[in-house]
Amino acid sequence: MTKERRHVSCQLAVVGTGLAGFAAAVFAGNRALDTALTGNTGALAYTTGYLDLLGAMDGGGPPLDDPWQALQTLQATQPEHPLCRLSPASIHAAFTEFTSFLGSAGLNYSPPGRRNETVLTPVGTLKKTLCVPSTMAPGTTALTDKKPCLVVDFHGLKGFSARQVVANLGGSWPVLSAARLVFPGMEHGEIYPEVMARSLETAATRAHLAELLREVAGDVTTVGLPAILGIHRPDRVRAELEKLSGLRIFEIPTMPPAVPGIRLRELLEQVLPQRGTTLIPQQKIKTLSFEKDAVRLDLADNYGPIVIEAQAVILATGRFLSGGLAADPNGIREPLLDLPVSQPGSRADWFREGYTDRRGHPINRAGLSVDDSCRPLTAEGRPFDRRLFCAGIILANQDWIRSRCGAGVAIASAYRSVEQVRQLLGD
Amino acid sequence: MAAETPTPIPIINFKQQALQLLPDGASFDACLTCGLCSSGCPAAGIENMDPRKFIRMAMLGMNETLSTTPWIWCCTMCRRCQHVCPMSIDISQLVLLARSNWPNDRKPAGIVRSCTLIRSTDSTSAMGLPPEDFVFVVNDVLDEVRATQPAFAHLQAPIDKQGAHFFVNQNSREPMSEPDEMVPLWKILDLVGADWTYSSKGWAAENFCMFAGDEAAWYDVTRKRIEAVDDLGCSVWLNTECGHSYYALWNGINRFDLDVGFRLESLITYYARWIREGKLPVNSDWNRRAIKFTVQDPCMIVRKAYGESIAEDMRFVVRSLVGADNFIDMQPNRSANYCCGGGGGFLQAGMNEQRRSYGKRKFDQIQATGAAYVLTPCHNCHSQMEDLADAWHGDYHVVHFWTLICLSLGILGENERTYLGPDLLALLD
Ligand SMILES: Cc1cc2nc3c(=O)[nH]c(=O)nc-3n(C[C@H](O)[C@H](O)[C@H](O)COP(=O)(O)OP(=O)(O)OC[C@H]3O[C@@H](n4cnc5c(N)ncnc54)[C@H](O)[C@@H]3O)c2cc1C
Ligand code: SF4
Ligand code: SF4
Repeated sequence: MTKERRHVSCQLAVVGTGLAGFAAAVFAGNRALDTALTGNTGALAYTTGYLDLLGAMDGGGPPLDDPWQALQTLQATQPEHPLCRLSPASIHAAFTEFTSFLGSAGLNYSPPGRRNETVLTPVGTLKKTLCVPSTMAPGTTALTDKKPCLVVDFHGLKGFSARQVVANLGGSWPVLSAARLVFPGMEHGEIYPEVMARSLETAATRAHLAELLREVAGDVTTVGLPAILGIHRPDRVRAELEKLSGLRIFEIPTMPPAVPGIRLRELLEQVLPQRGTTLIPQQKIKTLSFEKDAVRLDLADNYGPIVIEAQAVILATGRFLSGGLAADPNGIREPLLDLPVSQPGSRADWFREGYTDRRGHPINRAGLSVDDSCRPLTAEGRPFDRRLFCAGIILANQDWIRSRCGAGVAIASAYRSVEQVRQLLGD
Repeated sequence: MAAETPTPIPIINFKQQALQLLPDGASFDACLTCGLCSSGCPAAGIENMDPRKFIRMAMLGMNETLSTTPWIWCCTMCRRCQHVCPMSIDISQLVLLARSNWPNDRKPAGIVRSCTLIRSTDSTSAMGLPPEDFVFVVNDVLDEVRATQPAFAHLQAPIDKQGAHFFVNQNSREPMSEPDEMVPLWKILDLVGADWTYSSKGWAAENFCMFAGDEAAWYDVTRKRIEAVDDLGCSVWLNTECGHSYYALWNGINRFDLDVGFRLESLITYYARWIREGKLPVNSDWNRRAIKFTVQDPCMIVRKAYGESIAEDMRFVVRSLVGADNFIDMQPNRSANYCCGGGGGFLQAGMNEQRRSYGKRKFDQIQATGAAYVLTPCHNCHSQMEDLADAWHGDYHVVHFWTLICLSLGILGENERTYLGPDLLALLD
């Protein structure tokens, strides 16, 4: 049976649905650019939900309290870093625009402040981040105030241990205890945060859990739970659970597969099309070709082939985990367009000897080199095509894990790219 | 027909087979063991198995356990795992492989029986209703409508009409168990002036041979249905409100690389089109009490086939019917929706406890919307969600689209109200 080829024609095609791709679609939508978006599950699925701007300097050093100050330093020491492609004021504007969008869609975040917040990791250590989901923010307050607090985990839930959190935090949090509960209706076997979160979207489970929490909390009035407070409208789930239990409740991220990434994905996949984005969910672009009148992107979904024709493209395909970069015996490649990848001279140089070397490993700084407009460069140092822009952690000259700048790189470069697309199309 | 000593289940080498099954470049080796598949799979934990574990065990060569686990009949092959997997790994292919490997006398008897019945008559009906009985029931119901509903004294239900535009299929449950449920569909087709026909051959929608993993039988049924459409020279095979029948034919045609001279379409697409064109002048004025509705996206036509476009059409139809403010989407929805747990032959497999445990996820989704009604264009979803309301003590109702369309148009006959709850019935009195 011959399958009909479906056509999408748009001003901007965004390739990738990680934070960079989603943020680009948000910014483009706000600027009335007719946008198509496609991408599969990527690194975003594994996030804690915190939006980091810059938590540490590459090459080590203490956690950063003032990321804005640190950006100035970065400008001087690593001008090639993607966060140096735009001014701190623009980065601030980008974070504000993105978190306001999420808030207006029902997922509230703290707005970008002047200083980093100190937040809890899944194992109960502390880290610095810029924007915190509202479901997690009361944890930071409780930590600062040293409020007596109970951390609760659940039978059958892997990837989150209240005892581990308490053991790691005990030193900085004097009255802290751990308890384990049976989650309502999930007495047996392994249980997943996602499943618990969906169940908490029903009133019956909320009432039941609130009762269990009240019983176990005793005199303590603040309770930390793993991130399970609903996928959809988590702020409402938290508010209702607080009301029912009379407790102050906050979320602590868990190890993947975790709720915050699923929350972001499901929310954005639902809201963006409502605001005009053409979304082809969970699919990858197979080929990308630059023709005279348009950029052509070919892909297929279960139904059959699709062609997108766009005036400009933002490539936001992530790193190895998401398929934006691929490693083979000859080195690191960019599989879609075979763009030159800035990388160490040979495989032997990918890693330093010590796995925990504070300076990080050269392979983590590999990626695409771009010009000031976020356009990927050819080997000769010219833009590959004036219609191609690039955003996210696929960019070279950053080590997002070490410097805790994953969301920062994604959101800032998406903002910069969309600005440049607008200029290009406005010309 | 159970043999005295059950036939042993042959052992499959999953890893080797997977290499042949998967498209170039894809590989189960690529699995990151991230667990997103299991986290989002309603069958995870049933029979102590889940999709990530299945992949891991396949890679580790634990072929005996995988070849014999009854879990393969609890996985509905809904492909939600693949939808969320960063590597797009499709576990349902391994499950289908395992199913086809079970000897018939070991497979769930309900699924095997349905497949056998499908092949027992030219109707291709899983309930074994022969062509002459189908023709009789249709005419019988038609006569009664003409006699008792003056507005429809000239209603048509053509059978074997050569050259009709639409070849309309029908789930056997209607002619067999609730024939009056066919009437709303006929009224809609009449109202929009559709040129349509039933066929006495190959009219039935279901295809349990696919779920049985019986490739030869699936092929056979697919051929029979294609022939029936070609014999009448119809341009469009119109799938009525039954999800897997669409998928079984559409996927069968692709899988067996068959040539067909007609298009396959879903009735949902046409509902939306007819409403947009003003041919179906539905509105939500009747919903004075702001009764809330949600919608169930059948995996078989949304995630596994048409994707977002049909999901959007479905929502357009629902909003037009009940009012935008009275429609509450399930979470998650569209291509990310959960299977109801009635798919993949689960409803026919006789594993009720497991099926209801799977369906608890769907039940919670429905409860979270607070809706009084679930609309769905799929018989399996319909039956399963009704059963879940019973099993888990919900107070929602499940309705077909055709029922609500006719209700909105004020043409729903008295015998056509089986699925309405007291609140909707009260509106009609
Ligand atoms: C375990 C873990 C924890 C994290 N925690 C945090 C945190 O606490 N704070 C923080 O700020 N950041 C965190 N991050 C990082 C954050 O998720 C990433 O920085 C961010 O998602 C990167 O965005 P990206 O869009 O550049 O890449 P990705 O998220 O990797 O997205 C790339 C996208 O491109 C798609 N793609 C690839 N190839 C194609 C193609 N051919 N066609 C179409 N699409 C394609 C992929 O499917 C994917 O959707 C974490 C990441 C991980 C893995
Ligand atoms: S989601 Fe995909 S990659 Fe992750 S464990 Fe499941 S099959 Fe493996
Ligand atoms: S196909 Fe559906 S039921 Fe089967 S493993 Fe995947 S998600 Fe689970």
